[in-house]
Amino acid sequence: MDLAKVQELVFEVVAGLVADWDLDAEIGPTTRLVADLEFESIDIIQMVVAFEERLRKRNLGFEKLLMIDGRYVDDLSLGQIAAFLHQRLTVAA
Amino acid sequence: MTRTLFIGLDGATFTILDELTSDPYGEGVTMPFLAGLIAGGHKAPLRSTNHPLTPPAWVSLMTGRNPGSHGVFDFVRFKDMGHDVYFTLYDARDIQDETIWSLAGRQGRRIVSLNFPMMAPPPEVEGCLVPGFTSWKHLRRNMRPEGLYDRIKAIEGFDPKELAWDFEREAKIGEDMPEDEVEGWVRHHLPREAQWFRIADTLLEQENPDLFAVMFDGTDKIQHQAWHALDPALRPAAPSESWLRLRALCLGYFRELDGYIRRLVERAGPDAQIFLASDHGFTASPRVVRINRWLGEKGWLTWRAAGDSEAEKRRESANFAYLDWTKTLAYCPTPSSNGIAIRVARGPGEPGVPEADYESFRDTLVAELKEMRDPLTGEKVIRDVLLRERAFPGAAMGDCPDLTLVLADYGFVSVRNVAPVVSMRATPTGTHHPDGIFIAAGPGIAPGASGRFSILDVPSILMHSLDLPVPRNFEGRVPDGLFAREVTIGPPSRRMAAGTAAEPQVADEASEAEKLRILEQLKALGYLED
Ligand SMILES: [Zn+2]
Repeated sequence: MDLAKVQELVFEVVAGLVADWDLDAEIGPTTRLVADLEFESIDIIQMVVAFEERLRKRNLGFEKLLMIDGRYVDDLSLGQIAAFLHQRLTVAA
Repeated sequence: MTRTLFIGLDGATFTILDELTSDPYGEGVTMPFLAGLIAGGHKAPLRSTNHPLTPPAWVSLMTGRNPGSHGVFDFVRFKDMGHDVYFTLYDARDIQDETIWSLAGRQGRRIVSLNFPMMAPPPEVEGCLVPGFTSWKHLRRNMRPEGLYDRIKAIEGFDPKELAWDFEREAKIGEDMPEDEVEGWVRHHLPREAQWFRIADTLLEQENPDLFAVMFDGTDKIQHQAWHALDPALRPAAPSESWLRLRALCLGYFRELDGYIRRLVERAGPDAQIFLASDHGFTASPRVVRINRWLGEKGWLTWRAAGDSEAEKRRESANFAYLDWTKTLAYCPTPSSNGIAIRVARGPGEPGVPEADYESFRDTLVAELKEMRDPLTGEKVIRDVLLRERAFPGAAMGDCPDLTLVLADYGFVSVRNVAPVVSMRATPTGTHHPDGIFIAAGPGIAPGASGRFSILDVPSILMHSLDLPVPRNFEGRVPDGLFAREVTIGPPSRRMAAGTAAEPQVADEASEAEKLRILEQLKALGYLED
């Protein structure tokens, strides 16, 4: 899957996730989970499950994206998530 | 046409329902419809799974198999990596046996299943499925079939925030709450149950499935925090104003519930067979047993020195063992597990008990646990210690703690590092009792009362009610004399294909980040803390 396709998939999954959250946010590569989409930690768990279900694969290794140098990242953009997934799927293939 | 109506009542017990279906205190009959149903139907106490906890018990009711086979032991699963222990949430993908929803579906029966735990992400079903224990933000994605959310959204008065599980709110279970806060708690669960009822009523009318199943869990939530207002044994001689108010509110809840049961039974029509069951019962727990504190004092567990960071503080206060994994030999992973996991060394120099010493270590542990006493009264605080190979036999047994404790008062243990090991609560809290309820009524059901049934009998009963063969590998049975019609036994239910159930995480993927992130929310599920 090329990066553009993965990005599309990320937008679609996240858009589906937040469909009923009454947000005004646009969905795009610079959209951030916490700042723009009001994510809480349970939402991140659900997002991970949504990707796992969509890609029919468990244990995608999301913690590598969520923690950098032993610290939590404060926020993530959909672009970052897409790049991460693209890299994970390329390694796996 | 609906042939089988199943109403699950989380934590319902005859200790309470016997009173609410009669009028021992001149308060009026709180649940007149249920009283009539019982009078014309069949009633039995229902023995829960060996550890009477919501997820394993409901999953046993849905699969006809004990937790050692279906693989769900708790809200939270743990995996020992040697240098660390990894915690995450169980979900539907961890269930290793086929559910009755699937069994009915592939034999041509349509189903509706509402608010059962461990049903997200939702499996494919012939009909409709809305999982329980799911936050409002994730309901749409977790329903089957597609488009169901919009149908439910169209129901008048629908409010997903009222309906859904709220992690932060449910975190309060087991906390000592002032009485006015308990009132707020009870009040909160009224509209929630009304939301589930309206969905149930609508889908029962629209779908008319062969098997209609809905679970109401306000019973469990209210009993946990307001048990002292319900338990006949704790009824004060001279009740205070606030006790009377709380009592009235609780009765109000049960009165509403009685109305929901009546309307669903009426909607299902006179030809439907009606079944009610709970996943476990309820009783009073006056005592706190801090099991990891005890293991620490015995020298089998070493606490981790917590740092000052916010994340570490959060981690330490979470309801999950936060330990020095290089030195710990045995620990309780979560309060809801009531379990003790014994760590077996993977090799020389690795943390844990050497494999050759496992049996003797376990024997010592069991013997000492059974001798643990309340320093005030001298009473034993542990009723029984279950060995997993006896209590939870099956392919998934390895995921279960080595020992499961049954406390003298049936309470949940505490995993906090607080002294003393044993103490008393200010007010007894509600806890799970192994005996829940079973009620059946309708055409073809023999009226009467029986001795104890098993929760594993319920799926056999439901299959039989649907006029389907009972799978040969179901561990329960259709009790003699419940039905007029002869029972047929058929092919076994399926094991879930490898890969749909959880793969063990590889060690390097179990980072602190994932654990903290999950733990933060999972505090919410931590049962009964002091
Ligand atoms: Zn329960």
